[in-house]
Amino acid sequence: MIQWRTLRNFDPWIVVSGLVLAFYGALLIYSASRTIYPDGIQGLGHPAVRHLVIATLGVAVVFAVAWLDYRTLGQVAPTIYAVALAMLVGVLVVGTSAYGSRRWLDAGGLSIQASEVAKLLVIIVLAKFLADRTLEVSSLRTFVVSLTIAAVPMMLVLAEPDMGTAIIFGAAWLGMVVVAGCRPQHILVFLATMTLSVPFVVLGIMGDYQRERIAVFLNPEADPLGGGFQILQAEISVGSGGIFGKGLVHGTQTQLDYLQTPTRDYIFSVLGEELGLIGALLLFALFIFLLFRGLRAATLARDPFGRLLATGIVIMILFQVFINVAVNIRLLPVTGIPLPFISAGGSSLITLFVALGVLESILLRHRQIDF
Amino acid sequence: MDFLRGSSQRWRSHKARENAFPVGRNLFLLQALIFVLFGILTLQLVRMQVFEVDSYQAKAENNRLRELQVLPLRGLVYDRNGTPLVQNVANYTAVITPADLPGKNEQEVFDRLGEVLKMPSQDIAQKVEDKRQDGSPYDAVVIKDELDRDTALILKELTPNLPGVELRVEARRHYTSGDLTSHIVGYVGSISEDEYASLRPRGYILNDQVGKAGIEADYEDVLRGKPGKELAEVDASGRQLDVLDARAAQPGQSVFLTIDLELQRKVTDALREYMGTSDNATAVVMDVHTGEILSMVSLPGYDNNLFSRAITQQELDDLLNQPGKPLVNHAIAEMYAPGSTFKTITGLAALQEGVATPDTVITSKGYITVENEYDPSVVYYFRDWAALGAMDFYRGIAMSSDVYFYYLAGGKADEGFHGLGEERLASYARSFGYGELSGVDLPGESPGLVPDARWKEQNWGETWYVGDTYSFGIGQGYLAVTPLQLVNAVATIANGGDLLRPRLISEIQDDHGNTIASFGPEVRRQVPVNPDYLAVMREAMRQSVDSGVASSAKVAGLSIGGKSGTAEFGEQHADGTYDTHGWFVGFAPFEDPQIAVVVFVQRGGGFQNAAPAAARIFDYYFHQRYVAQPEGSP
Repeated sequence: MIQWRTLRNFDPWIVVSGLVLAFYGALLIYSASRTIYPDGIQGLGHPAVRHLVIATLGVAVVFAVAWLDYRTLGQVAPTIYAVALAMLVGVLVVGTSAYGSRRWLDAGGLSIQASEVAKLLVIIVLAKFLADRTLEVSSLRTFVVSLTIAAVPMMLVLAEPDMGTAIIFGAAWLGMVVVAGCRPQHILVFLATMTLSVPFVVLGIMGDYQRERIAVFLNPEADPLGGGFQILQAEISVGSGGIFGKGLVHGTQTQLDYLQTPTRDYIFSVLGEELGLIGALLLFALFIFLLFRGLRAATLARDPFGRLLATGIVIMILFQVFINVAVNIRLLPVTGIPLPFISAGGSSLITLFVALGVLESILLRHRQIDF
Repeated sequence: MDFLRGSSQRWRSHKARENAFPVGRNLFLLQALIFVLFGILTLQLVRMQVFEVDSYQAKAENNRLRELQVLPLRGLVYDRNGTPLVQNVANYTAVITPADLPGKNEQEVFDRLGEVLKMPSQDIAQKVEDKRQDGSPYDAVVIKDELDRDTALILKELTPNLPGVELRVEARRHYTSGDLTSHIVGYVGSISEDEYASLRPRGYILNDQVGKAGIEADYEDVLRGKPGKELAEVDASGRQLDVLDARAAQPGQSVFLTIDLELQRKVTDALREYMGTSDNATAVVMDVHTGEILSMVSLPGYDNNLFSRAITQQELDDLLNQPGKPLVNHAIAEMYAPGSTFKTITGLAALQEGVATPDTVITSKGYITVENEYDPSVVYYFRDWAALGAMDFYRGIAMSSDVYFYYLAGGKADEGFHGLGEERLASYARSFGYGELSGVDLPGESPGLVPDARWKEQNWGETWYVGDTYSFGIGQGYLAVTPLQLVNAVATIANGGDLLRPRLISEIQDDHGNTIASFGPEVRRQVPVNPDYLAVMREAMRQSVDSGVASSAKVAGLSIGGKSGTAEFGEQHADGTYDTHGWFVGFAPFEDPQIAVVVFVQRGGGFQNAAPAAARIFDYYFHQRYVAQPEGSP
């Protein structure tokens, strides 16, 4: 289905930057898991090894997905949507919990974090929907239906509860309707409504634990040994790293176990402490490079579906990075969200490589219409 | 091809592409957003990692490092022959540092600890909660003290799995001589909140021990030693990973007492035997040349080991409610009328002031009369204990005639005999150490009371009468002394006029046995009495024991000088009598005095109780004692 000559449209930089990020992540995971694996790498069970194995698998996934025409995804969009919703409902019914929320589906020995997979699926569905309505994109109906498509899975994720991923859904939708060209008035009215409803959300919809998280975020010193502990310790870790960091595996905060989930949500604190500002800027540079390769794919896409799909993927990665890092450096309240490519966690990593594959798929086909 | 089926739609999207390309404003917005968001993150990182890095690094170090006090091993207390009176024994304590408990699973820790210690886990939770309420979650709270060895070993195995829980091994004081020396050695106890507040800068910790009574309190600074410090790296659960720096604790120095434990035991036995049903009794043996206290017994005693482990309220109440006040050292902390033993001072003052000579003869008809100053028809009678007839000075002391000393103290105006008067008498009493602290190395000493006209005016609002002087002269009335002051005064008579500071400490040694300090006699002053008169008094006191009223103090083969006393106190009974305290104070051998002894028996008599007890002490000291080699000789 792919003509060989189109292979020169394959963007190796996307795969390379994904792999470099994943390797960077494995280094940090290695350092962060030394308190649990003091003897270092002894086998394939070590989380850093697992991370590398999944990343390697991820490269294969990129090629497989790239080979598949992304437009096929558009055609089965309703099915994809159904699968996404089924996973999110399933996780609420039979999912396993950790850290106070239900997030995992156990299937055949694998533990899948449903919302990580659902994120990409919903972006595909939204892209298809908006692409099919390029002409009536400025109509209120398009706007409202697109909002509904995003809102249903978002509510399901909120019910887990997983505020962070819900925000990613919201951000991806918002970015996609802007790029698709929805009427600015609609978007502004919607945003104004959202802002005004914040107090009601806080009082009505939010669970106690989410309200508590926000209260603790605003004043972690009030409870330095309880809820405020991880906020303060993450901040101390990053701050104490300075410009050059304390050196990999030499961060006292990390190695003395002051960080909670240092291989997942708080892996940026490990980076900040051990590799310092230099390490963080290198990470940012890698992400910015990858995101711009993603935007390039959006620009070159042969059709609105591809363009919106690429945009959605870029926004998804961008916001995940921003929210995760912002939580680590006390710019945002605690929300459990992994740092793309860096945090340990198979569902997230595989989903990201699938997303990279979709970007490649878009690129591979962009010149087919140019005779 | 399947996916080209919706061709019309594809065509439409073609047209849309024309709107979209070149890259729309909207994608440009997205590019800008990427830079803005990463810009925000970078700004915050620069703020934290460049501008505030010092503050964060300080916090990280503070997390990582914990400064631990290492308590020094407390110095010991020995008697004069090197017999230890206290040992340091291991005490196992289970403690919890609330801040180091695992946030969510602390109940599990309480449950498991409760199982090991065999106590309800709610009690543990409560103690931890109390500590948290105090606002000091980093300080350890004692969960259970005095664990037996087996429990301690089990707990030691388990602590790695019980974050926040620690097994502490501390040295506890075990007082080997217990009751026998408790008033001298005293005891240590847990530091109180007030003490902690003031002692904290000197390296005391919250669960510390501090001397509370006796030598343990007075020599706290010597015995305690210097605490060491350890700088340890700890992880987030408070587990100590590594000691980075340590300054060893410096063990406390040991104190050698002047007390002879064996003599102490014999004195206690003698007192017990002769105190009868008295609530309390006390005796002090002093070296007349050095001021060293060889024995100091106050009965009833108490077991100071009760205090070194946590004393229960019940045990404490028992001690506090006993009529004999076992916690009080009656030899130094209580003052009593000295009765006839004070005639020694009145006599010496009279000789020195020329009021009397050894040959002055006074006749006792059994009483003396004084007319009221304003109404001569009112006549007061001051009684002697018997109509003793004509007596010279020696006989006056030996027979302990009250009338003789009424004359010397207050005079007899109608016979033209001029007495000392209260002012001169008080001055001599003070020069012999009455009315002031002796300076003995124990806390809680009473200064006693030497009255005079001004004192009476100030405290009672009454003028001083000649009758007051009479009472003063025979050691009654307002005069009050401690047994230690009494024996100290008699030691001064015995040694030829040097008023010494009574001492309990002979030497301080460091933990290697090197002498840090040794103490010799300290002369507080020379009493203003001609040595010849002191000799007269010694002879008079010899006669008192040999052929006088203190003959019950006699010991075969030993010449003793002494003076007994039976002091009246309290309210007069219906038959005109009073309750009495029994006293004896004396020295021996007469020819070359070595020791002075005082015995006090509450609600006893000088002749019946005190003097025979003293005789037993003298007899033991000079005749039965295994004579320890003098220090320094081979």
